[in-house]
Amino acid sequence: MQRDTLVSFEGVVKRFGDFVAVQKLDFEIRKGEFLAIMGSSGCGKTTTLRMLAGLEGPSEGVIRLSGKPINDLPTWSRDTPMVWQSLALFPFLNVRENVEFALKMRGVGKVERRRRAEQWLDRMQITEFAERNISQLSGGQRQRVALARSLVVEPEILLLDEPLSALDAALKVRMQSVLKNLQRETGITFVYVTHSQSEAFSMADRVVIMSRGKIEQIGTPQEIYRTPRTRFVADFLGSSNLFTGKVRSDGQGLALDTPVGQLALAPGATNDIGDTATLTVLDTKTHLSISAPTGSVNVVPVRVIGEEFVGATATLYLETAHGQEIRVQKGHDELADLPLGTGQSLYAWWNPQDSHLVAEA
Amino acid sequence: MRRPITLYGLTFSLPLLVWQILFFVFPLLFLVALSFWTVKNFTMRPDFDTVNWTTMYGRAVFWQAYGTTFALATAASVLTSTLAFPCAYAIAFKLSDSARRWAVFLMVIPFFTSYLVRVYSWQIFLSDNGIINVILGWIGLGPFPLLNTVGATMIGYLTLSFPLVVLLQLFSLVFIERTLIEAAHNLRCGRLRTVFAVVIPSARVGLVIAALFCFILSFGDFVSPVYLGGGEPTTLSILITDTTKSGQQWPRAAVIALTMIGTLMLVAFAAVKFAYKGKTR
Repeated sequence: MQRDTLVSFEGVVKRFGDFVAVQKLDFEIRKGEFLAIMGSSGCGKTTTLRMLAGLEGPSEGVIRLSGKPINDLPTWSRDTPMVWQSLALFPFLNVRENVEFALKMRGVGKVERRRRAEQWLDRMQITEFAERNISQLSGGQRQRVALARSLVVEPEILLLDEPLSALDAALKVRMQSVLKNLQRETGITFVYVTHSQSEAFSMADRVVIMSRGKIEQIGTPQEIYRTPRTRFVADFLGSSNLFTGKVRSDGQGLALDTPVGQLALAPGATNDIGDTATLTVLDTKTHLSISAPTGSVNVVPVRVIGEEFVGATATLYLETAHGQEIRVQKGHDELADLPLGTGQSLYAWWNPQDSHLVAEA
Repeated sequence: MRRPITLYGLTFSLPLLVWQILFFVFPLLFLVALSFWTVKNFTMRPDFDTVNWTTMYGRAVFWQAYGTTFALATAASVLTSTLAFPCAYAIAFKLSDSARRWAVFLMVIPFFTSYLVRVYSWQIFLSDNGIINVILGWIGLGPFPLLNTVGATMIGYLTLSFPLVVLLQLFSLVFIERTLIEAAHNLRCGRLRTVFAVVIPSARVGLVIAALFCFILSFGDFVSPVYLGGGEPTTLSILITDTTKSGQQWPRAAVIALTMIGTLMLVAFAAVKFAYKGKTR
């Protein structure tokens, strides 16, 4: 175990009856990091968080907090405050009373309680709403109350379960920077569960991607984005074009036999000949031209089937002769010289160095 | 925005309106009128005389009965609510969905039998030769006077309102958001403390309404104080029958009845106000 490990999951399994929500989790959460756990609904991310909070007990395995096993510790004996998706603010208490709640439960005296609550009300910029009822607050204000309520005890770790999902897009982005700054300033470890890639990738130091109760990949957003480890991750991120085929030797090195033809691999690929593998190439690294570029190895003839403009970038949807969809993302100026009418024939190509092979089919 | 009353809406609300006028407003107005009538030679005469009000309000026995009834109904609400809460709590939070449906069903069963019958059957248990005293006799205790006591009256009130109070409390408890309870636990609030810090405040409206129902039922009840309490101490319901029997004093009985209705309205108003206090600040 590393020295800066705060939480470790060791072979953690969670079953609900016959249903296995989480199977064999092994990972660590480092002190002071912003960790996002991402996956689609039902992937076990919330169950993982709830086990850490003590709201569910693992069926197998050990969860350690600062080295000590916490499996049998009830949630009210742990310091793992959580921010709920519904926020779970107490509607019968006003803002200040909500923030003071955890301090009161710890037997902190009235004066001290008030002082510490005041600090956090101020920090979250909700002092002016202190005496209001929860029902009188906007979504963003409630969010801040929920954060203050959990952080007022200055815990080592804060658990967040999709706290931004109820907010509108603009507020979401604003709250993301509030959260990120808060985490940086306080140095508190944040564990953030979300299904949103943009939330996870914009805030987290490391991201855990889960699927069907298993971890698919752990890494920094850059690592995951550039080198997805499994086909699932590449698919889930949706930012790469995928080509599945069989690995074979092409004389000098390795190549991949796919329905769109033989594709050259990045130098240094070490896959076994005969393996089924998937080549991934980012849609931003996939290029288009009107005629087949000379000297380029990975060229796929395509037809334009649609386009989409968001701000300064355009996303082009193309189709190979075999009906596989390919996406290309480019700035407007890069596309200025290309005819982009629907049905137009073009060539998609990329440098082998920009592609990356994942093992599973 | 107020919506205009349509013929369609009127058609459907008419039966209720007619019912209310026929069986509530009209009798109530009649009761008010009756309270000003006079009785001469055992016959009532329509009149407008405040003598019934001054006579009744001038009698110590009336105020004694009023105090007794109010105290008994208050005690019944507190006792019933307190005993019903653990029961409703367990049904709401500790039972599986199917077990909860059975529990609700069991709470409805008492309503199959007339309240009067249930009170009579309590006599079999509580009398000097009743089941409880016989069993106590086997181990050389008693007999204890159980029937015709305030305690027996209280048992009657419980019989009357316990299932209803459990059901009303239950309905407010099942609607508590579970995450609130989890959040309290998560913020270091232990199990028992959560009941007082989160569950009760969350269910306050339902709990107060349940207690109010118990108060209303007990305040006007005639059966328990007579058949289990033995008519001692006198409650307002007993006083009403006594008054009607002695010299056709229906107008004076009307005074008592109107006082009871007024009291219940005030209590209900205060209770609802307390229940919703701070809800829309």
